[in-house]
Amino acid sequence: MKSSTSLGSLWDTWGITAILVLLLAVAPVLTPDFFSLDNAQSVLRESAYLGIVAAGMTFAVASGAFDLSVGGQLALCSVVSLIGFAAGGTVLAIVAALATGLACGLLNASLITRLSVPPFVATLGTLFVFRGLSYILTQDGPKTLPYDQIGSPFVKIGGLNVAGVPVPFVIMVGVFAAAWLLLRRTATGRRVLAYGSSPEAARFCGISANRLRLFVFALVGVSVGIATLTYITRVWTADGSAQDGFELKVIAAVVLGGTSLKGGKATLIGTFSAVLLISVLNDMLVSEGVPSAYQRIVLGGVLIVALTIDGLRTRFAAPGSLRRALSGGRTPQPGPAR
Amino acid sequence: MTAVLRRAPLLLPLLGTVVVLAVATDSFLTGANIENVLVAAAIVAVPGLAMTFCLAMGEFDLSIGSTVSLAGVVCCSAIIAGQPAPVAMGIALLVGAAIGLANGLVITKLGVTPFIATLATLVIVRGLSLAYSGGHDQIVSSAALKYLVGGRPLGVPMPIVLAVVATAAGWWAMNRTRFGRWVCAIGSNREAARVSGLPVDRVRIAVYVLVGVAGAGWGLLISSQLQKGNGQLGMGFELDAITVVVIGGTALLGGRASIVGTVLGAVLIETIRNGLNLLNTPPAYQRISVGLLLIAALAIRGIRRAEARTLPVPVPEAAR
Repeated sequence: MKSSTSLGSLWDTWGITAILVLLLAVAPVLTPDFFSLDNAQSVLRESAYLGIVAAGMTFAVASGAFDLSVGGQLALCSVVSLIGFAAGGTVLAIVAALATGLACGLLNASLITRLSVPPFVATLGTLFVFRGLSYILTQDGPKTLPYDQIGSPFVKIGGLNVAGVPVPFVIMVGVFAAAWLLLRRTATGRRVLAYGSSPEAARFCGISANRLRLFVFALVGVSVGIATLTYITRVWTADGSAQDGFELKVIAAVVLGGTSLKGGKATLIGTFSAVLLISVLNDMLVSEGVPSAYQRIVLGGVLIVALTIDGLRTRFAAPGSLRRALSGGRTPQPGPAR
Repeated sequence: MTAVLRRAPLLLPLLGTVVVLAVATDSFLTGANIENVLVAAAIVAVPGLAMTFCLAMGEFDLSIGSTVSLAGVVCCSAIIAGQPAPVAMGIALLVGAAIGLANGLVITKLGVTPFIATLATLVIVRGLSLAYSGGHDQIVSSAALKYLVGGRPLGVPMPIVLAVVATAAGWWAMNRTRFGRWVCAIGSNREAARVSGLPVDRVRIAVYVLVGVAGAGWGLLISSQLQKGNGQLGMGFELDAITVVVIGGTALLGGRASIVGTVLGAVLIETIRNGLNLLNTPPAYQRISVGLLLIAALAIRGIRRAEARTLPVPVPEAAR
């Protein structure tokens, strides 16, 4: 009995990592030059902005909410950052990206805490608002990094390598390390998980729901701000349509990693591996020349398979449930998705 | 009057918007323009009504935008391949039903949460649609397909006829049938519904099939308007459908639904879009206004709930 439960909790944290290792093991067979320096660097660089936002989103999901506005935030941060760069160079560009992200997060948080709008609707609304603002700021065409500025430190963030490791990936690892410390080694992290597993119980324990949600959504905003630094210096251009559908990709990565959409259970290791898994899969499909239409089908399929395994596991996690299921009895359903 | 407003609170902002637009523009209160607004509202109302059942059950279907695209592509390429238009439309609706069935089965039988399951089918169905259309427009010229939006039985535009029929059917199903009761019961407490012996899984699957078919119907209407199918159509439409329902007053966490609210929500959103168009506002502002409207609708409800909570009766925190 004991061994099966510990196997289950091992799978919770490391399951997706195991799948990633498996995929990496077969990758060179399917794509001969997968581990070439160029390709590996490009995979890591590409995963950075998704990963950084996913790290922040892990906290939101762990608290039982999610932020649908991150795509709009990324577009707005990128546009504002480019405007900042044009006006004041590297420093202003970085400050603009981070400040915009924080402002977006605080706006979401105040809608949720002050006006008691449910997070789903509040962030769905601000998704429209942030994208709209980005469109307004780019009415005379998309903002771009000027090519003659290729030597400036800001532009280099996206392309530079430190000892062969791309800087965006270094930033992503740093963000995950900080996020892990925050989640596992501070009272705030405990509170997020406590609130996620039962807001009512957390309230009775003296956790302020408003302050907690303010923190979580501001954190998501800041993570988008940091992600912008690695994103915009890689793609060089942004307008209101930048990264359409980004929010769903981020949430998919978090959930694929093993963080429960119901809240109260989070794994940053899982999120990290899931982000890499998505990037590796993407890269393999692209270098195999699979048309982008089929790439979507594969990624969606992976998501369903991973969540099915998880769903079946939860369903049969209760002692004796497998026996009951086999004897034709009704098994308890996994709880609603909240 | 107050009784009417309590049952349909959206009438007030709707009337306000109409008055403002009537004063601010010359062309808003013309017959042709009002017809435009109502046709646009009718087209969103059809999937909105189906989505009302889904939200009343406490669940979402995010895949509907991709269904719109695939249904249009399937219908148009069937017509191009020489099928008669009614057969092509039938095939498209069946494809929608199949997507809904797949959603329902994955959610109920495999235990994947609806949000993720339909997110995955959103991506997959979009991929199918792009692959099937080869990334090209499937341009058709079919009088029968065109009739879906352009037809005027008894002088009334066809989408309005469809929406009225769908509203009547939806209202009846939600308020006068066992099915509607079951949907709301599942939405307010699924476990209680299951223990009471309701066929929870079957009802959920049925609702997803309903949304799938409605999504396909939406796709046919869009393709009828544009006279083409395309793998890129319908992106982000899932949010439109959900927005209309949420503004209409259906509880986000399930258990309570307003069919009339959904229809009014559709009319309100399309009135505002139309007004912003008439005022020559760039599309960016239209997005912003839809977002603000969504937030405002829920903020007003949240404030009301907060007032209710100050009563000495313990009210459980319903919204998380």
